Amino acid sequence: ENSPAPLPERAIYGFALFLGSRFGFMLYLIWAYVPETWLFSLGLTYWPQKYWAVALPAYLLVAVGIGYILLFGINMMSTAPLNSTHTITDNYAKKQQQKKFQEEAIPALRDIPISEVNRMFFLPEK
Amino acid sequence: MEERRYRSASGALIVLRRRQHSASCRELAVRCPRLQLRSLSAVTSAVWLAAYGLFVLSENSMVLSAAIFITLIGLIIYLHFVKIDQESLLVIGSLGIQVTSSYASGKESTTFIEMGQVKDVVINEAIHMQKVIYYLCILLQDPGDPQGVSAVVPLFQSSKPRLDCLIEVYKSCQEILEQRKTAPQSS
Repeated sequence: ENSPAPLPERAIYGFALFLGSRFGFMLYLIWAYVPETWLFSLGLTYWPQKYWAVALPAYLLVAVGIGYILLFGINMMSTAPLNSTHTITDNYAKKQQQKKFQEEAIPALRDIPISEVNRMFFLPEK
Repeated sequence: MEERRYRSASGALIVLRRRQHSASCRELAVRCPRLQLRSLSAVTSAVWLAAYGLFVLSENSMVLSAAIFITLIGLIIYLHFVKIDQESLLVIGSLGIQVTSSYASGKESTTFIEMGQVKDVVINEAIHMQKVIYYLCILLQDPGDPQGVSAVVPLFQSSKPRLDCLIEVYKSCQEILEQRKTAPQSS
């Protein structure tokens, strides 16, 4: 049901969005460039200050630049410190059920405890 | 007693010293490189050049004396609180594990963990400052759950040895920790 194939409804949504964004851009250009007296003479008096025509894009660009740094910082803060148990195990591993060992079957997938992994890697088998 | 040279995670030369005091007691010490004269003079020159630049701008000679004080006090604080000279691990089977850090100014800070609380000593991998590093850590037992881990105590935090050194330390510790599993059966 959720295929990305083109449908008639999606074509209509896309065209409506296209027209809406073109109209919004034309409206923004008119508001930024046309002098206030001309707009007042047409009767359209309730506009925001033209200061915002420059301020909003400037705010957006600075926000994008800060977003890079913010994302990097959030990543660093979410990394578990070296002394936390989250580097060893988590809730799913603690509550896992042990399946019974069956002969000649592939063993069930499970989270192997770190002591066992260490013994296998670093202690040579005699 | 034997000494071997290894490299730390950042590339500096470290020395691992192993001593066997008895059949169930081992001491493993990792010595970090000393404070280099070239880095000390580089930092001092940078601070004094910046202070001289400020003095030329502001014509206030207190800036120069303040820079000298800051350099001296900063060096003392660094040697006493930051620069670790040697980190050692003393494993005594059936008693506990003692972790000692000695600073460059001579200060020593010690932690002792009794053997009943120690579940295992393992080499764990974790993400640290945009790198994945191996580090040795002591897993503390959870009193309520025999399979659970209540806390993780990382060791050799400032010398950060690489995997080859850690494997040697791990093998030495495991030889002693295995004895506590066989000892109750033999008595």
